[in-house]
Amino acid sequence: MLLQFPGPNPNEVDLSPTYDAVVVGSGAAGGMAAYVLTTHGFKVLLLEAGKYQDTSKILHSMEWPYDHPRRGRMPSDHHALTLNEYNVRDLPYAQNSPYNKVQSYVQGWSGTDYSKTLVVDEKQNPYTGTRYAWVRARAVGGKTNIWGRLALRLSDYDFKAKDRDGYGENWPISYADIEPYYDKVDLYLGISGHPEHLPYLPDSKFQRPVKLTYSEMHLRETLKGMGRVLTPYRAGVTTDGLKHNKYRSRCYGRGACDRHVGGCDIHAAFDSPTGLIRPAWDTGNLTMRTNATVYEVTVDKDSGKATGVSFLDSETKKSYQVKAKTVILAASTLESARLLLLSKSSLYPNGIGNSSGHVGHNFCEHMMGPSVSGFMKELVGKPKTNDDGRPGGFYVPRFRNLDGKKSDFLRGYGYEGSSGTTMLPSTAYSTPGFGEEFKKHVREYAGATIEMGAFGEVLPRYENYVEIDPNVKDAWGVPVLRFSYKFGENEQKMAKDMAIAGREMFEAAKFEVLSTSNEMLPEGWSIHELGTARMGNDPKTSVVNQFQQCHDVKNLLVVDGSTHVNASCQNPTWTIMALCWRSCDHLADQLQKGEV
Amino acid sequence: MSTHLDRRDLLKLLSATALAMPLQLKAAGIDKLYFTADEFALLDVLTEHIIPRDKHSPGAHDAEVAAYIDRAVAESFLPEEKQSWNKGLAEIDRLSIETHKRPFLKTSKSEQVALLKKLAEPDDDSKTDGEKFFQKLKSAAVFGYYTTSIGIHQDIEYQGNIIQEQFAGYDAV
Repeated sequence: MLLQFPGPNPNEVDLSPTYDAVVVGSGAAGGMAAYVLTTHGFKVLLLEAGKYQDTSKILHSMEWPYDHPRRGRMPSDHHALTLNEYNVRDLPYAQNSPYNKVQSYVQGWSGTDYSKTLVVDEKQNPYTGTRYAWVRARAVGGKTNIWGRLALRLSDYDFKAKDRDGYGENWPISYADIEPYYDKVDLYLGISGHPEHLPYLPDSKFQRPVKLTYSEMHLRETLKGMGRVLTPYRAGVTTDGLKHNKYRSRCYGRGACDRHVGGCDIHAAFDSPTGLIRPAWDTGNLTMRTNATVYEVTVDKDSGKATGVSFLDSETKKSYQVKAKTVILAASTLESARLLLLSKSSLYPNGIGNSSGHVGHNFCEHMMGPSVSGFMKELVGKPKTNDDGRPGGFYVPRFRNLDGKKSDFLRGYGYEGSSGTTMLPSTAYSTPGFGEEFKKHVREYAGATIEMGAFGEVLPRYENYVEIDPNVKDAWGVPVLRFSYKFGENEQKMAKDMAIAGREMFEAAKFEVLSTSNEMLPEGWSIHELGTARMGNDPKTSVVNQFQQCHDVKNLLVVDGSTHVNASCQNPTWTIMALCWRSCDHLADQLQKGEV
Repeated sequence: MSTHLDRRDLLKLLSATALAMPLQLKAAGIDKLYFTADEFALLDVLTEHIIPRDKHSPGAHDAEVAAYIDRAVAESFLPEEKQSWNKGLAEIDRLSIETHKRPFLKTSKSEQVALLKKLAEPDDDSKTDGEKFFQKLKSAAVFGYYTTSIGIHQDIEYQGNIIQEQFAGYDAV
């Protein structure tokens, strides 16, 4: 008989067998690796540093704020780092903080009572170096428990970007290689969207799209005239349901996702625990060990192969070793790089898989900050409609540096936006004054507002990197990351253009512009860090091959965002999962043939 | 020496006991979780000034915004955060005495509005203590009001947080 999910207590998990694969991390990448390999019949041990937390017990998505003692907010002895603190404080940010628990800026959002046990405590998990707003979640499912759901494909405009503008490196794959795997991810996990037939943002196998508000329809028409596109939010959410997955419901348009830090207690929005890990569990081939803080990949001195990993129990800090035929890192872009760099030995003095010296380098992501907000005059004072009962608003895909005129910066950016009435009216804080006039203004404009913010490609640069800090350790005694990472000139030029273009689009739609910003938010804000163990054909300039196997150590794979060659401006989660599926199919084939 | 307490001594003793037992008075419901009864009365009037009852919907007083703030401040983790509220409320009274010779609650409604207008519309960017407190108070009042049933349902007439078979809105075509 199968064990009930999530299995026995962590310290009772059987670590004696040599598993076919040990997977480190249980988010989008780790969940996918576990799912694909277990369905191929392999025995997988999934290690997660955090605990298993049942979403339905910690997220009360339809609870009204007035039914919660703190109106949805986390306890007062918890502190969310503010924008100002990232700007002025020295790292580690939580040092000398009087609060019991210090968390990243996302805990300043609404509904954070949900995510208070998912997002890490900065006091336990310090890092040093340059300014960086690093958001980490240690829990089964990782950041898929809080993700923003925008699920986009990359295209050859990204995979072959070097061919187009000469910058950086091409990916060792093209769109044709990954397209079948994007299809698999779409069909297996469910995605909502409307086809637009854009070569630079390929369509997915869409389920029922979200609808647009009146002002969004108007902006869509306006942008059409400018040769630009506004498309309904492409949400990694099943809107029609999934017959093959009994753990997930279809979306019922409750709009709960944006009132909390992500999260879906009916699991219409993809999360790794219900989308991937439970199906993997049901094969009978998965073993899951939570509270497992991995600190080293172990090596066989004779063959040079990885033999398994060492980890500390996150609570008792007792050390354990596990053995596996293959080791698969999926701990997130920065944590996987940290693990590679920590795994030093006489064979691999710079860290395992790092003969190229590129581990931790070519670190890239999405830049955020430039934004525009305004309102549509015709909607002021109109009866309210249900505008936020959907898993996302709209997306304006990239329009710079495609096939026509070139900008004074490389690559591009997209805009994410939403409009209309929200439960807490977005203009209430910024509306000046007080009294009857203030109250009337807030009420009448609540349904008329529209806003959007840009996400731009940060160029991968060797000079942007993370390394191991020789002096600072985390709460488990594991050396921490030191950042040397800054936005450059290309990002600054792009930010200026974002703000100008945002205003231009709103003005073209005859929206009243309330505010625009061209200020970049701190590095890290997008939570889309990528590139620290990039893939490539040349072992001298890349860390893994196109199947995410380390050039130096073939039975060591890195399957998360660290392997992306550039950031594109499209959100990475769907690409992480498509690449991982492809690599694990390939690995399964090799395991069957005894080639690894 | 008399073993009897005279009436004067008895009164002295009673008043000393009363002074030594403020906690019992609190339990009697005079003071709130954090604020004194006087501070709370001021807070209640201030929040109602920011978001008043109008023809459309009840205001901050009916939505018990002051009670929300009282609870939030009582639960604040940092002592300086708690104290900033006492100081801010005292500053409102100080400014009122300076301008209108009386504490805020003893002034007329038009005098109260005049004082708050000065705090809401500072002449320049450098903010005084009173202006900073007004911003803090307004921000707390906004959150406290628009997260209540009155704010969400009666004032904003929010239509969401329901189960829908289909999404509302327009199809992208």
